[in-house]
Amino acid sequence: MRGIIHRLRGGLIPLIALIVVLAVLPIAGAPRSWLLYLLLFFLYLAMANMWNLLCGYSGLISLCQPAFIGLAGYTLVIWAWHGLPIYLGMALGAIVAALFALLISIPVFRLSGIYFAIGTLVVPEALRYMFLLWRPIGGSIHGGGAGYVLKGASDFSTAGVYWLGLGIAVASALCLRLVLRSRLGLGLAAIRDNDRTAGSSGINVFRLKLYSFVISAIITGLAGAIFYIYQSYVEPNSAFSVRWTMILILAAVMGGMGTEGGPIIGTVIVVFLHFLLARYAGISLIIQGTLLVIIMLLVPEGITGFIRKTRTYRYLLQLATMRAN
Amino acid sequence: MTLQFLVDLSGPLVMGILLGGLYALIALGLSLVFGVMKLINVAHGDLVILGTYFGFFGMTGEIFGHRLTFLGIDPIVSLVVGMPLLFAIGFAIQKYLLSRAVQISMEAPLIIAFGISLIVQNACQRLWTPYSRGLTTSYALDSFNVGVFNIPLVYLLDFAGALVVMLFLREFLRRTYLGKAISAASQDRGAAQLMGINTGRVYAYAFAIAMATAAIAGVFLGLTFPFTPTSGVSFLIIAFGVIIIGGLGSMLGTFLGGMILGLAQTMGGHVLNELGLPGAATGQYLILYIIVLVVLAVRPQGLFGR
Amino acid sequence: MPEETLLKVSHLDTFYGSLQVLWDISIEIKQGEIVAIIGANGSGKSSLLKTISGVIHPARGSIIFEGKEITTLDPFQIVALGISQVPEGRRIFPDLSVLDNLILGSYNHRARPKKEQNFKMVYELFPILEARNNQLAKTLSGGEQQMLALGRGLMSETKLMLIDEMSLGLAPIVLNEVYKALRKIRERDITILFVEQNVRRSLEEADRAYIMEVGRVVLSGDVVDLREEEEVKKAYFGV
Repeated sequence: MRGIIHRLRGGLIPLIALIVVLAVLPIAGAPRSWLLYLLLFFLYLAMANMWNLLCGYSGLISLCQPAFIGLAGYTLVIWAWHGLPIYLGMALGAIVAALFALLISIPVFRLSGIYFAIGTLVVPEALRYMFLLWRPIGGSIHGGGAGYVLKGASDFSTAGVYWLGLGIAVASALCLRLVLRSRLGLGLAAIRDNDRTAGSSGINVFRLKLYSFVISAIITGLAGAIFYIYQSYVEPNSAFSVRWTMILILAAVMGGMGTEGGPIIGTVIVVFLHFLLARYAGISLIIQGTLLVIIMLLVPEGITGFIRKTRTYRYLLQLATMRAN
Repeated sequence: MTLQFLVDLSGPLVMGILLGGLYALIALGLSLVFGVMKLINVAHGDLVILGTYFGFFGMTGEIFGHRLTFLGIDPIVSLVVGMPLLFAIGFAIQKYLLSRAVQISMEAPLIIAFGISLIVQNACQRLWTPYSRGLTTSYALDSFNVGVFNIPLVYLLDFAGALVVMLFLREFLRRTYLGKAISAASQDRGAAQLMGINTGRVYAYAFAIAMATAAIAGVFLGLTFPFTPTSGVSFLIIAFGVIIIGGLGSMLGTFLGGMILGLAQTMGGHVLNELGLPGAATGQYLILYIIVLVVLAVRPQGLFGR
Repeated sequence: MPEETLLKVSHLDTFYGSLQVLWDISIEIKQGEIVAIIGANGSGKSSLLKTISGVIHPARGSIIFEGKEITTLDPFQIVALGISQVPEGRRIFPDLSVLDNLILGSYNHRARPKKEQNFKMVYELFPILEARNNQLAKTLSGGEQQMLALGRGLMSETKLMLIDEMSLGLAPIVLNEVYKALRKIRERDITILFVEQNVRRSLEEADRAYIMEVGRVVLSGDVVDLREEEEVKKAYFGV
């Protein structure tokens, strides 16, 4: 009994074991539908981790994530159109997303709280209209609009995309952990508590928030690009859609913001909901919206917050710390 | 050459001002709520569209794909039912959801409003299909002339509607007990309570009034533009732009802010046309969004802001 | 006519979060009195007032007004019953006119039908308010704002007025005017409970006083007696 608890606190070994198991699944002959659900889980998790970094740890309620996802996707598609390798396209997509984050931060970071939220809301919407008007590549289509197929997507097997997804999910978790343990993380914790006092104690609030924003853009962009490798076509209405944001908010709120484990649990629930609500596609938003409202009102700290309050968790924690002494 | 230039401008000028009326009308509710409760309701656009669909239902009787032909009421007339309905919905949202959210955290009202937004959008999709609709009344296609331009009659109605609602709200806030209580609660909530004002209930009334305004805005919106269940976001952004330009919480400021935004849009569109650039309709939304971003970047407290 | 107990506070314990600010407070106010609660900053006197007016709720103890238990009521309900609070810092509504501020004072349902009478009373007591009727409240001087705050309290058909730190920031001349007004208010059978730091002045104006330190009542009684108390003399008059 004690040994198990000790290893739970250790954390690393079971985690690595889990990753190995996941990596082996395609080879072990897991059914394609499983792999696809897991792929979605990996991609959403990467994005949710980044959203957690922004909202839970930096105090930035960003509704801007679809912009990074869509831009990375389009960069990839345009790049591949010219026959260039997809891996490079992915990287380029992430870079474009990061540059865009830098650009957008100029107007948007002057705002805070709700202003920031709405400012970031405008950005993907504006991009959506832009890509509805503008066809960057290919011949003109009646009605305009930039919907494209990703050339070279068929070169990727399901396993291939799956492993890319696993990779970005792990990368996002590592990234989050590294940031939180770094000086950036300390600074962010101070900012999250109180913007102004953090600023007056010498922390460059703007720069730290910018770092978070750009980091989230890179990883979210990568995850987006991988998504489009899987989906193999991109079009403006879904690329910049608020549904991305909805998934992230749902995952973050249900799992618990500001905790490392929160996004994981939240994403599990979100993907599970996808699966469950597939039959009720017509009212899935009503259900998810209602869930969001109920959870925010009754359990605002999400499931991780809830668990932390339960006696079982506190008991286990006590045992573990006793063991350490 | 200058005379022609001016004559050419008169069309977009008038259109901008009149259209600005619609934008102001949509924004008035948002402005009221922000002025009183310091809350930006991100579901506002979707609730306006809900109002539009109520008008649609009254007009066509269509629901779940069936048609109740005994309806067929002019959308403006149907406001007799639409306004109390949205009033009640608004009252409930503030009293039971948002008032609790405010006590939980800073992000909670935003997230809950987001949830409401999803629910409303999906509900409208189920009830009235995702296809693009319009409130095509008999007068919806009438127009009148200004110079060489044809201006739709509904634009004039939009302007008139906005003016009436704005004046009504302003006088209500100034002259009635409840209106004064709302102003007081927005200036100092604690002191208002010491006056014997039940601020929780006053906030609920304020939100409800804002929603009733949204019902009106929804009907006029439907008369002016085609709409879908997801049109709400665009109009939330426009409304936000209006109150940023016009100054938060001021009814008159919101009204003027609407004019300014409308003018910016039509003038910008005119310039684009002159330059031969394509994409009139979609492009105008884009212009609006860019204007909003620019205003946010340059002067978030607005032109008339405190 | 025997004086009835208007307000009875018993064994009040109040907390701000986990910090206790009031310890076992019991006071009694009789109809028609002027009572002072005196103490330095942090003595808990403002907290006591806020507990009575319902802004904070006590963890233990009870507050009974005119025989009714009001301990857990909301502020707006307590105002309706006849207790008005003139808050610390006045807190008049800056962007509303003097007239509107006064009108808002009569918001509760008992006060609305009596609006005109109460206007007369307020203008008689504070003529300057009538002169400045249409001005925005934020343009008034400190003393005028205090009068407006008192006037607002009077508009509510109040039986018991709670006044929090009235003298802060007021010139002595103005303060005299205000205390004169308080005496006239008492003549109209309105009971007054005021909270002050200035011991000497309070003991001149009140009938009875409670002296508070660090959240407890340390002394109480008629002001005549208190003025003679050795401890009071030592602590506050430096004798």
